[in-house]
Amino acid sequence: MSVSQKHPYHLVDPSPWPLLGSLGALASTIGGVMYMHSFTGGGTLLSLGLGMILYTMFVWWRDVIRESTYEGHHTFVVQLGLRYGMILFIVSEVMFFLAFFWAFFHSSLAPTVEIGAIWPPKGIDVLNPWGIPFLNTLILLSSGAAVTWAHHAILAGFKKQAVYALVATILLALVFTGFQGMEYVEAPFTISDGIYGSTFFLATGFHGFHVIIGTIFLIICAIRQYLGHFTQTHHFGFEAAAWYRHFVDVVWLFLFVSIYWWGGN
Amino acid sequence: MLRTAGRSLLSRALHRAVVVPQHPAGPPPTAALMSSQRWFNASGFRAGSHAPSGALDEFGIATGVEREELEYQSQGKKRFDLDPPRGPFGTKEAPAIIESNYDERIVGCSGGLGEDEHDVTWFTLEKGQTHECPVCTQVFELKVIGPGGKPGSDEHH
Repeated sequence: MSVSQKHPYHLVDPSPWPLLGSLGALASTIGGVMYMHSFTGGGTLLSLGLGMILYTMFVWWRDVIRESTYEGHHTFVVQLGLRYGMILFIVSEVMFFLAFFWAFFHSSLAPTVEIGAIWPPKGIDVLNPWGIPFLNTLILLSSGAAVTWAHHAILAGFKKQAVYALVATILLALVFTGFQGMEYVEAPFTISDGIYGSTFFLATGFHGFHVIIGTIFLIICAIRQYLGHFTQTHHFGFEAAAWYRHFVDVVWLFLFVSIYWWGGN
Repeated sequence: MLRTAGRSLLSRALHRAVVVPQHPAGPPPTAALMSSQRWFNASGFRAGSHAPSGALDEFGIATGVEREELEYQSQGKKRFDLDPPRGPFGTKEAPAIIESNYDERIVGCSGGLGEDEHDVTWFTLEKGQTHECPVCTQVFELKVIGPGGKPGSDEHH
């Protein structure tokens, strides 16, 4: 194609991935409901659907990397649009967590008579916030500092150092996840232990899930940095991952202060 | 794993995809290399991005439209100008010149400066005829700087 485009935007070539993703979402939802109501084939359909969604994510984002790094379609305004998009996505995730925090405060600010009119409810053995939870706070903060180190390394052109910094970021996040997992197994209360269990595990559970997503995103960035995809002036994929990591960090700080610390007294 | 000397298989495969494949006088390219050549050439991959030795120039691995944008910027010019056109108030004797790649362009007039400004009035400015804004009577004329024809007529899809 020898015609040079007159506009700086990226008109994407036709792609099958949105359709595949929708079918995957359909299979996941129907399979999920079937599974939860013990219909035959529910579990299989759910697994198939989740697999389709994961595959869609892989091929779709692989295509974005091809279009940007290898084909050069990401001009300044395209990048700007992606920045807005990522920011808006993170804002929507903040709204998501806001719902769980609302639920927590609704039940904990005015504890009902059924749980003893106190918070934490009567009979709940809370975790000591200054044990593993505080350590996890320091680990996540360090992970956030490491990703900032990686960013500065990329900006300065220290490619190898950037990889090392990303590896440090990822390792710290994995340690956090490991400790949270251990806390989950060892906790004296479960998700079915009343409203305390529900709010605790839903809020921290979704947070942990987002940490894992962010870690995977950073692993992809580490691979791309190793392969030399990022330049000193154009590395938005990395910036998006770093924003996501900082967002997850902020959510944890709120979790620690409200659920672990205030909610434990 | 992080030695710069020996590269992993993945890294070598991807590097081969980025650098413009050469046509050596020796044995013909492998099937895999040829298919990646075809794919990238079909997408308009620019052959001028790298020196034959594989060394990178000042724009690094930038390619395609992004590279064009950077090249123009380094020469002080703009590859894509999204700013609204500015100029003296257009009159019948000296109409405001609006450039277009095609034979017509949609134009919005917001009037003069300060108090003379009005809500944007939209119209289609066509080649060969001037247009007067119904609100402030500013006169516009189209100047075709591209291939001409109806908008989008020279695109392949």
